[in-house]
Amino acid sequence: MQLRILPCRLLTALLCLQPVFAGALERPVNGPYFEDDRMLVVLTPRTPAQMSAFYEARGFPPAALERIRHTCFMTLRIENRSRDVLWVDLGQWHFYADGKEIPRLGEHYWQQQWDEIHLRQASRSTFGWTQFPQLRDLQPEEPVGGNLVFPGNTRRINIDAMLQTGAQRTGPVIHLGFGNVACRQDSPAS
Amino acid sequence: MNRARGCLALACLLVNMAAWALPPGIMPVAGRPAPALQLNDFNGKPCNLADTAGHWRFVHFWASWCAPCRREMPSIQQAMHRLAGSGIEFVVVNTAESEDDVFTFLASVAPEILPLMDTDGLATAAWQPRGLPATFLVDPQGKIRYQALGGRHWNEPVYLDFLRHLPVRPATPAGNK
Repeated sequence: MQLRILPCRLLTALLCLQPVFAGALERPVNGPYFEDDRMLVVLTPRTPAQMSAFYEARGFPPAALERIRHTCFMTLRIENRSRDVLWVDLGQWHFYADGKEIPRLGEHYWQQQWDEIHLRQASRSTFGWTQFPQLRDLQPEEPVGGNLVFPGNTRRINIDAMLQTGAQRTGPVIHLGFGNVACRQDSPAS
Repeated sequence: MNRARGCLALACLLVNMAAWALPPGIMPVAGRPAPALQLNDFNGKPCNLADTAGHWRFVHFWASWCAPCRREMPSIQQAMHRLAGSGIEFVVVNTAESEDDVFTFLASVAPEILPLMDTDGLATAAWQPRGLPATFLVDPQGKIRYQALGGRHWNEPVYLDFLRHLPVRPATPAGNK
């Protein structure tokens, strides 16, 4: 059985047309937001200056900060409010910009970046723990958070997310869409 | 008379069930062996988890940049006080941060905690936490029996009672050695 909020093709079409589509916005947040009795999902775009400052304060060298500044960070937080297991598998999330699917800069990408600049292990560990996990079987009441990173030339992103449920991933499937999410830019003064 | 005994037995059963019910956010783990944990503490003294065998171990991983860690750490310090003498060993591990970061953080939220320093983050990775903060409960025989999901208020009665009543010899689920 599949529980679909919207059929997938219709959802994709709406994502391209609608300025914002993310369920009911029930309280003000700095970014797309979805909440019901099964889950809370909050996506918070970050500016390059914010991310650079975060990692600089933790001893990251200039070469690493330079690479971080040239990407688009969004902090994703999901909380399972149901009594069932909620599967968050980023392999089943799709990201679109200008009508085309775009890659997420994941572990393999960053491993290459850090190898090129010989980043020390402690910084690699810290960076890794600040990224959203690739796969998580969220238990009842369990939260998870971390960053999603996209290429720096991305301006606006549409997100088509699929979440499975049940201990064996065989429960109802939930589709969520977030449309026209802006990669934040630094203000001219920063 | 028999009815009264029956009620008493039922009451005892319910009390025992309540004592063993898992508090929110505590997930049983099927007894996998705890990875080795040999690190220096904040004062540079070598520490080895294996030296505390025979006790339950509360093994906690954290970092100062993690907001739930900031909220949780004072409750761990209070739980350490409340459970002093209970036989539970608290092992608090900082993940991949500098001494300055650790000192500044703990001084403001839990100054009595003496953390172990996982300076490169590799010891933390070996434990495979689901994220930070992460807490594992290791039984006296060295197996991970429970894992906490996200940050918890360890100073609340439900968690203190649970920790006080951990069995000396945990039941082994079928199929696990």
